[in-house]
Amino acid sequence: MNSLKPGSIFLISAIFRVGLILYGEWQDAHMEVRYTDVDYLVFSDAASLMASGQSPYKRTTYRYSPLLAFLLIPNSFIAASWGKFLFSASDLFVGLFIRIILKQRKVPDHLCTYSMLIWLFNPFTFTIGTRGNCEPVVCAMILWIIICLINGNVVQAACWFGLIVHFRIYPIIYALPIILFLDPRFFQSGVKPLLCDWTSDQGKIRQINSQVTDQFDGVFSSFVLAFSSDYMDGNFYMRHCSIILLAQIQDIIFPSISTISILTMNVIFRFWKSSSPLVLVFCFAKDLVFCFFVQTVAFVAFNKVITAQYFVWFFCLLPLILPWTNMKFKWQGLCCILLWMGAQTHWLLWGYLLEFKGKNVFLQLWMASLLFQAANTFILIMLIRHHNYAPVFRQHTGLKTTQKKHE
Amino acid sequence: MSTRHCNRLCLNQKLAILWMFLSGAIVSSSEVETSRPSDSRNSDDGKYILRSYFDRYENLDDPSFENFMTHELSPSLCQVTPENRGLGVRLSVRELSLVGEGSHRQLSSSIRLQTGAESIPELPPHICEVIIIQRLPLGVFADPFELQNLHKRIGFRDMAVFGDTNLELPSFRSNRSAVEVHIDAGSDILFTQNSGMEINMLLPLHARYQPLDESGYSIIEIGEPDILTRCSMEGKQHKQSCLFMSSNESGKSRTRTVEWKIPAGMKAHAGFVSVVTFITASLSTVSIVYASMFWSGTKVLKT
Repeated sequence: MNSLKPGSIFLISAIFRVGLILYGEWQDAHMEVRYTDVDYLVFSDAASLMASGQSPYKRTTYRYSPLLAFLLIPNSFIAASWGKFLFSASDLFVGLFIRIILKQRKVPDHLCTYSMLIWLFNPFTFTIGTRGNCEPVVCAMILWIIICLINGNVVQAACWFGLIVHFRIYPIIYALPIILFLDPRFFQSGVKPLLCDWTSDQGKIRQINSQVTDQFDGVFSSFVLAFSSDYMDGNFYMRHCSIILLAQIQDIIFPSISTISILTMNVIFRFWKSSSPLVLVFCFAKDLVFCFFVQTVAFVAFNKVITAQYFVWFFCLLPLILPWTNMKFKWQGLCCILLWMGAQTHWLLWGYLLEFKGKNVFLQLWMASLLFQAANTFILIMLIRHHNYAPVFRQHTGLKTTQKKHE
Repeated sequence: MSTRHCNRLCLNQKLAILWMFLSGAIVSSSEVETSRPSDSRNSDDGKYILRSYFDRYENLDDPSFENFMTHELSPSLCQVTPENRGLGVRLSVRELSLVGEGSHRQLSSSIRLQTGAESIPELPPHICEVIIIQRLPLGVFADPFELQNLHKRIGFRDMAVFGDTNLELPSFRSNRSAVEVHIDAGSDILFTQNSGMEINMLLPLHARYQPLDESGYSIIEIGEPDILTRCSMEGKQHKQSCLFMSSNESGKSRTRTVEWKIPAGMKAHAGFVSVVTFITASLSTVSIVYASMFWSGTKVLKT
C-alpha cells in the first residue's frame, strides 16, 4: 500500500470513472435497464429548459436548486454526459480533500492512503457520480467547508455553507455544531487556529469541554423551538408504511380516535427526531468531523425515505474519522459492515417482492425496516464507543497566559 | 476582558441558534410550488381529442367521456350511410392483456384496422392515422416522460397523457388519467379494399399506492381502448379531416377488461404497527443519546 502514490490513485480512479461513464452510455443505448439514474434525466430536462430561457421548474419532479440546472446547461450543446463528468470530477475532489484534511492533522501517509481508497473505490460512491447523481458535488463542498474552518477561514466557510444549504437542504443540520465549534479560544483575529494532530496513542483521550453548561443552556433553549419546527422532517422510513395504513383510518368508523392517534404520534415522533441530533451535537461539536458524521448517520437512519444516494452523505465523512477509531477491521469492523449490508439487503429483498413481484409483503417490509433501523443504531453506537474523541483545535498558548493573569 | 468576550460570544451563539431554527421554521412552513402536470403542448392545433375533452371537463369519468365521444365528436365523423357502410375503415380490438409482474407492467393491445369492401377512388390523396385513447382507472398511471422516450424510440407519431399526471400521489388522492397515441396508418388506404393492418401497442403503466383493503389487495380493471381513424386530405381551400370510429362505439359498453391485482395495506395492522414503530424509535433514540453521553469523553465543568 505504501508504494501507491496519491497521483497514481487519482489517475486510476479517473480512468475508472471515465470507463464507467462510457459503459453507462452503451448500456443506456443497448439494454432495457438503464445505467443512468432517472434523476439525471430530470436534471437534463430542466437544464435544457433553462438553456432555452424557460424555468427549470416546468419539468415536473424537478425540485432542486436552479444552480444545478445551470451547471448542466452544457448537456444541451456539448454532450449529454457533461453532467456525469462534472459529478465524477467532484468525486475525485472529495478524495483530494480527504487527503488534505488528514495531512493537515498529521495523519500518517499509509492511513491517508487507506482513507482515500475507501472513498475512491467504494462501489456506492463511484456508481453514484457516474450514474449522474449530484451528491458528490455536495460532499465536495462540505469537505471544502471543513478545510476552510480548520484553516481559520470562517468567512469563506460561511459563504460556502450558505451555498451548500441552498443547493441541498440537509447540510443545515451542521449549522449548530459549526456555531458551537467557533470557540473564541481557538479562533482569534489574524491567527490561524492550532490543530490537534493525530496521535498513535489509541487510548481513550479524555477531553475537557469547558463552558459545557453555557452551551447546554443555549442548545436546550433552542431544543424547545426545534420541537415545534419541522425544518428537519426526520420521520423515518419505517413510519412510511405505517402512515400509509394510518392515513386511511381517518375515514373509518372512529375518526376522532384516529385523528388523535395520528396527532399524538406526530408530536412524539417530532420530539424523538429532535432530541438525538441535539445530544450528538452537544457531545461532539468540538470534534467537528465526527460530529458531522454521527449527525448525518442519525439523520439518514431516521429519515422518512432512504435511498442509496443518501449513504454518500456520510461515506464522504467516514474516511475522515477512521484514523481516530480503535475499532479493528477484524472482526468488529467487518461485522459492522456485514450487519449493515445484510440488513439493507434483507430490506431491499422485501421491497423487491412488493414492487416487482406484486406480493403483499407490507408487514414484512416494515419489520425489515425496523431491523435496518436497529442495525444503523447499533453501528452508530459502536462507532461512538470506539471513537477517540479528538477536538480539532487546541488552545493558543498566548491566550492561556492571558487567562492566568486574569485569575 | 476574555470572560466578557466569551459571554458575548455565548450570547451571539444563542442568537445564532435561535435565528437558525426560526429561519428553518419559516422556510419549512411555506409550500414548494410544483409545476402543473401538462404534457400536451399548447400549440398542438387540436390534434388531441383528449385535449378537447379536458377543455370541457375537469376530470375523467366514463359517462362524461362516452357522452363526449357520442355527441361532441359527431360533427367530425366521416359520413357513413347505410348505402356506403362497406366503405371506410373498421377498427377492432383483437386482444387486450397485461404483461409483467408487480407495480410496473405493460398493457398490451392488438388492434386490427380493416379497410372497406369497396374502395373510394374519387377521394383526393389522404393520410390516415389511428388514434388510440386508453382510459386508465384510478390506481394506475402512465409516466409522461417515459412515454416521451418511448415515442422517440418506437416512432409513434404522437403520444400524450392527460388528466392527473402527478407520479407520486397515492390512489386515494389522485384523479384518473388517459393516454392518447397517434399511429401512422399510411397514405391513400381508402383506395384499397379489404386490406388490413395489425397494430400492437405496449403501454407501460405503474401502480399507485392503494387504499387500505381487508383482503390485502386492490383489484383494478382496465378496459379496452377507444380507437378511431383520422384521415386528412387536401381540400380545395384547406386541409380536411374526418374520423372513423371503431365498431365498439355508439354507446355500447366495452366488454373486454383486464384485471390488475395491486397489494394494499390492511387496517388490522395499523394499531400495532404504530405502537411497535414508536417503541423502536424510542429505543433507538434513547440508545444513541445514552451512548453519546456515556462515551463522548466529556466532563462537565463549572467555569
